[in-house]
Amino acid sequence: MGQKVEVLAPAGNLPSLRAAVDHGADAVYFGFRNATNARNFEGLNFSLNDAKAGIAYAHSHGVRANVVLNTFPQADDPSLWFQTVDETAALGADAIIIANLSLLDYCHAKHPQLPIHLSVQASASNAPAINFYQRHFDIARVILPRVLTVAEIRALKERTTVDLEVFAFGGLCVMAEGRCYLSSFATGVSPNIEGVCSPARAVRFENTGERLRTRLGDILIADYGAHEEAAYPTICKGRFQANDQVYHVMEEPGSLNILEMLPEVIESGVVSLKIEGRQRTKSYVATVTRVLRQAVDSYYADPPGFRPKGKWLKELNAISEGTTHTLGTYEERWQ
Amino acid sequence: MMRISLGPCQFDWGKSALKDFYRRMAFETAVDILYVGEVVCSKRQSLTPEEMVSLAEELRSSGKEIVFSTLGLVMNASEEEGLYRLARAASQGGWWLEANDIGGIAVGEGTPMVAGPHITTYNPETIHFLMRVGVKRVVFPVELSADAMARMIQRLQGEITLEAFAYGKLPLTFSARCYTARAFRYSKANCQYKCGDFADGMVMRTQDGTSFLTINGTQTMSHRHYNLIEATERLQEIGIGVLRLSPQSQGMAAIVEVWRDRLHGRIDAKEALSRLSELNGGEPFCNGYFHGRPGHDYWSA
Repeated sequence: MGQKVEVLAPAGNLPSLRAAVDHGADAVYFGFRNATNARNFEGLNFSLNDAKAGIAYAHSHGVRANVVLNTFPQADDPSLWFQTVDETAALGADAIIIANLSLLDYCHAKHPQLPIHLSVQASASNAPAINFYQRHFDIARVILPRVLTVAEIRALKERTTVDLEVFAFGGLCVMAEGRCYLSSFATGVSPNIEGVCSPARAVRFENTGERLRTRLGDILIADYGAHEEAAYPTICKGRFQANDQVYHVMEEPGSLNILEMLPEVIESGVVSLKIEGRQRTKSYVATVTRVLRQAVDSYYADPPGFRPKGKWLKELNAISEGTTHTLGTYEERWQ
Repeated sequence: MMRISLGPCQFDWGKSALKDFYRRMAFETAVDILYVGEVVCSKRQSLTPEEMVSLAEELRSSGKEIVFSTLGLVMNASEEEGLYRLARAASQGGWWLEANDIGGIAVGEGTPMVAGPHITTYNPETIHFLMRVGVKRVVFPVELSADAMARMIQRLQGEITLEAFAYGKLPLTFSARCYTARAFRYSKANCQYKCGDFADGMVMRTQDGTSFLTINGTQTMSHRHYNLIEATERLQEIGIGVLRLSPQSQGMAAIVEVWRDRLHGRIDAKEALSRLSELNGGEPFCNGYFHGRPGHDYWSA
C-alpha cells in the first residue's frame, strides 16, 4: 500500500478554512475574491491578506494549502490572472490549481518551483491529455472530471505517473467540466469566464401558493407541487419533458457521496479525496471533513473490514443538497 | 471571401447514410471544407479510421478540404486507442485532424490540426500555445460573442485562421451519462443504440412546453438552430475565415446554397433569413451568444 490518501477540504472564507484544519483535513483549497476562480459567488472567497492568514494557519497545523485559479482569462485583459499566479507563488502556497493553457504555460515558465494541479475545469479524462499537460507544464496532479468509473480510474492510473485527485463528496457536476455551456445558454453568463454556474442574479423562485417554479434566466427549470422541496435551479438538475415523460432528464438534485465505495476508490490509486463546496457554510465544511477523516482512518485501520457507518451517512445526508446521495459516475450503471 | 465548412455530423445515422451524405455534400454543394468523424460517442457504429481514409480518398476529386474530427470526451483506453489510430491515418494520408479534447491535441501533436469548438480557446495566449504544438486553425467556443472573437482576432494579427459556428443545433456539453438511453430507462452499457432512432436528436422541453434543448446521447445541444445569417458582414469584418454549418438530416444542401448565395451577395440578409426559416419549418432560431446574450435568445439587428 502506498501513501495514505489525503482528505482535501474546501474553504470559502477564513472561518471555513480553520474549521477544515480543526476537523482533520490534510489539505485545504481556496480561491481569491475575483473572476479568477470558478466559485466566484458574492460574499465568498479570500483577499490577499485572508490568503496569507489562511496559509499560515494551515501550515502551523501541518496542513497543506492549495490556491485555485481555474477560470479562463479573456482577450481584453488577462493581467489579473497572471498577477494572481505571481501572488500565489509569493504566498508560499503548496500548489496552484489551474485550468487554462496560457496560465499553465506562464506559471510553469515563471514559477517552476510551485507545484501545479490541473483543475477539473480542464476536463482531462484520459492519459494522452494528462500526459500532455505533464510533458509541457510538469503538472504534479490532475483533478479528474466526474466522468470516469472507478474501473476507468484504476486503469488510467496504469497509463500515467501524474497523481490523481477525485471528488469524494458534494455537488455533482454531471458534465465535462469547463466545457459545459448550459448555464450560459440560459443566462448569457459564462462559468468559464466569470466563474459562476447558475448565477444568483439569474435565478428566480416564483411561489404561487400552489406551485413553486424555479427559473434560470427566462427558462423554467422546474415546476414543483406544494409538498415538494425546491432545489436551486441548475439546468442539469432540472425537471423537464422528454420522451413523453416529465422527470429529472439529466440528474436528480442530490450530492455525490463515495463512502459506500471508499475502499474501491482508495485502492484505485488516487492520492486525494476532494470535498466539493467552497460556497457552503463553515458547519458543512466541519461536518464533511470530520466524517471523511473518520472514514479514511477507519479504512486504513482495517481495509477489508471497512463498512460505512450509518451515523456517517446520516450526518452527511442531513447536509446534502436534496438530502439524497449518489455514487455518480464512479458506478458504471449510473451512466 | 469567407469559406464554408460542414462540421462533423453529431448524430447517429449509420455508416451508409453518413457516406452518402458526405458524397452528396462533396460533389453537389458549394461547401469548401468537410469535417468527417465521430465526435459524440464511441459506441456508435460510425466510420472506422480505415473507412474515413477510403471515403476521404473517394472525395478527393471534389477538391474539398477534408478534416478528420475526433471525440469530444475521451474516457478510456479503447477510446484512446481509437484516437491514436485516427491520428496515424490522418498523418499518413496528409489530412488534418480536428481535436475536440486535449487528448486529441496530444495524439496529433506536431501534425497539422484544427482545434475544434470543444477546446477552450478564450484568449490569444492559449491559441499561441496551441500553434506551437501544430494547430493551424481554431474553431471558437460556441459561447463567444462577436466582440470577444473580434478582440482575440485583433491580437492574433492574422497569424491563424479562425472558424465560427454559424448554423445548426449548438453542441453545448458532453457527459459520461447517456441521456437518450436514460429517457428509455436503459443504461449506457445497454443503450440499445437508441440514438439511431433520432436523426436530429430528441427534444427536451421545459414544463411549460418551451422546446429548449436537444438530447443526443451523451451530448446535449440547443433545440433551436443557431443562425448567424444576418451577421455575415460583421463576421467578415471581424476577420472570421471559415463559417461552420452543422449537419442535419433534411435540407442540408439547400441550407448550404442559401449561405453561398448570401456570401456572394446574390441575396440580402432578409431574403436569406426567410429562406432558412422556411427550410427550418418556421421554427425560431437562436443567436444570443453572438450578441453577448443568453444563447437561447434570438436578437435581430
